[in-house]
Amino acid sequence: MPDTVWKKCVVVAGLAVFLLSFPLLVRDAFLLRLFTEALMWIGLAITWDLIAGYIGYLNFGHGVFFGFGAYTTTILFTKANLPFALSLAIGGGVAALAALIIGWPVLRLRGAYFAIATWAFGRAIMQLALVLDVTGGPDGMRLPPFLNPHFFAYVMLALVGATYIVLWVLLERAPFGLKLKAIREDESGSLAIGLNPAKLKLQALVLSAAPAGLIGGVYAYWITFIDPSSVFGDLVTDQAVVMAVFGGLGTLIGPAIGAVFFLTFKTYFWAYLSDFQVLYLIILGVAIAACVVFLPDGIWGAVTRRQEGRRALRKGLSLNQRAAAPPAHPSAAGTSVRPSVRPRDGEEE
Amino acid sequence: MLTLLPQAIIDGLLLGGIYLTVSIGFSLAYGVLHIIDFAVGEWIMLGAFLGLYLTAWTGWDAMLFLPAVFVVFAVVGWFTQPLIQRVTSGAKGRPVLMALVFTFGLALTFRGAAQTVFGIFTHSLPTELAAGSWYWELGPFMMTVPLVRLAGLVYALAITVGLTYLLKRTDLGLAIRAVAQHKDAAGLMGVNIQRTNAVVYSLYVGISAMTGVFIGAIISLNSGMGPDLSLFAFFVVVLAGMGYLPGVPWASFLLGLIQSFFLIFFNPSWTLLAVFTVLFLILLVSPTGLFRKGV
Repeated sequence: MPDTVWKKCVVVAGLAVFLLSFPLLVRDAFLLRLFTEALMWIGLAITWDLIAGYIGYLNFGHGVFFGFGAYTTTILFTKANLPFALSLAIGGGVAALAALIIGWPVLRLRGAYFAIATWAFGRAIMQLALVLDVTGGPDGMRLPPFLNPHFFAYVMLALVGATYIVLWVLLERAPFGLKLKAIREDESGSLAIGLNPAKLKLQALVLSAAPAGLIGGVYAYWITFIDPSSVFGDLVTDQAVVMAVFGGLGTLIGPAIGAVFFLTFKTYFWAYLSDFQVLYLIILGVAIAACVVFLPDGIWGAVTRRQEGRRALRKGLSLNQRAAAPPAHPSAAGTSVRPSVRPRDGEEE
Repeated sequence: MLTLLPQAIIDGLLLGGIYLTVSIGFSLAYGVLHIIDFAVGEWIMLGAFLGLYLTAWTGWDAMLFLPAVFVVFAVVGWFTQPLIQRVTSGAKGRPVLMALVFTFGLALTFRGAAQTVFGIFTHSLPTELAAGSWYWELGPFMMTVPLVRLAGLVYALAITVGLTYLLKRTDLGLAIRAVAQHKDAAGLMGVNIQRTNAVVYSLYVGISAMTGVFIGAIISLNSGMGPDLSLFAFFVVVLAGMGYLPGVPWASFLLGLIQSFFLIFFNPSWTLLAVFTVLFLILLVSPTGLFRKGV
């Protein structure tokens, strides 16, 4: 369908131009900060969704990888005086290594066990950061300030953009994504058709941890101060979860939309209602719970559902008018969309 | 150091009693409803605060309010369960995962609401028991048993025995076990699944809230204590094997002993790490818990 391909190209190109030129055109430091933070949360939300949406494992310790990256980068940068780029790369590597070590036993657990184990792991690591000397304990760590918001906007853009493209190619174009979805639909079944779920899950976890670690490293240098509760705390994971669930699990664009939407809300909330800080937790919780009950596919899921339905209707009508041989069957609608793009096939169990 | 050994064991057992109460209702709820409730710690916290407000209002001993707290939260649980039921029985998506996310949201909401309403300060529940303690000296060994902790252990054992009786000797217990074993088959045999589920959930919420009163009297209470309690409930239940009720007491006492030994003989701030390491190793060796009976 060249028409839609053309449309998609225009949209993607427009988005790229917008993202690349935004930091140059905007002189407002606040907007630039919001831009950078939005990119950061997009990165965290899509990497969380890689595990939750594509494999169906809930990683409630995603913040750990973010924190590993932030702390490793900070320690190497300030204490070992390595250049920032090298510290950052090592930070990402450490996060990936942590994912490998932790994923090996924990990924053998299914469903709720996995969620609990990762959550407990996150809290244990936070405890560790609080008692160690090298992390500065509860006092946290300071980095030399580098006051160039454009630098951080572009670094974050490059990082998250690269992550998004890599994930999109791997998950939506390469067989890797289909394999992960096979695990989500039926893990034993995927084993039976010759996949190696243990290996695939570990690869996916490492793939989700490394960008999170890199983002953590950039975050640390950008904010110039980290402490255990700000990078290892529950809030990092919680917000990524809200964004991904709100936007729509099992897609890449959904969590990105959710991240932008939720971050905008959060920023305005903090700006105008900061007297009611604790309300934020309530809103976060209600948002998660309400999404699960009323919008289980997220915003993106609801939108695509509706479009699919319309397309099916149109197609069915045209088929009827032409009185073509195959009867208008509702499931025929899906053929206009690539099967791998649709998140929720075959779940009518 | 060795003179502290009996004290460490006793502390461990008393602490294990607390963990037992935290996790037994939770394990029951998992065994029957097959949902992990991330809000378990928050139910405990809310129960503790209800106890606190009742004692502040009437001036009576906190222990007197256990039944009231149980009843109030059993009712709350009764009305919460249909929501969870709706999420888990939904035709679309992955119900189990969605239920996890849902209770996660519920927990955040409760914590936020508690911090808004009750503030962030730490309180303690006043009770007559807190003043008393037993003290022995036997040669070089000495032991102290605070009465309120002993009461906690007795409460834990009473709840365990009571639940065991309920499950093994009554018709309701038979229905609960049937639902836990096979929901659809139990439904075909005439068990009202909806109602059984609601009963189990309200039992669990009520027990958790009562536990909150004990924890408030034994340790302290504040609006941010939920996650740590949930964590320990999870530890116990994973050690015991998810949904395997007889394993819960052993796992609780093991966890209590590990923690008290760490507190007395090593660095207290490493306790949580030690506990996590144990959990990690056990999951490595046997992912279905100590007794290999989990689901």
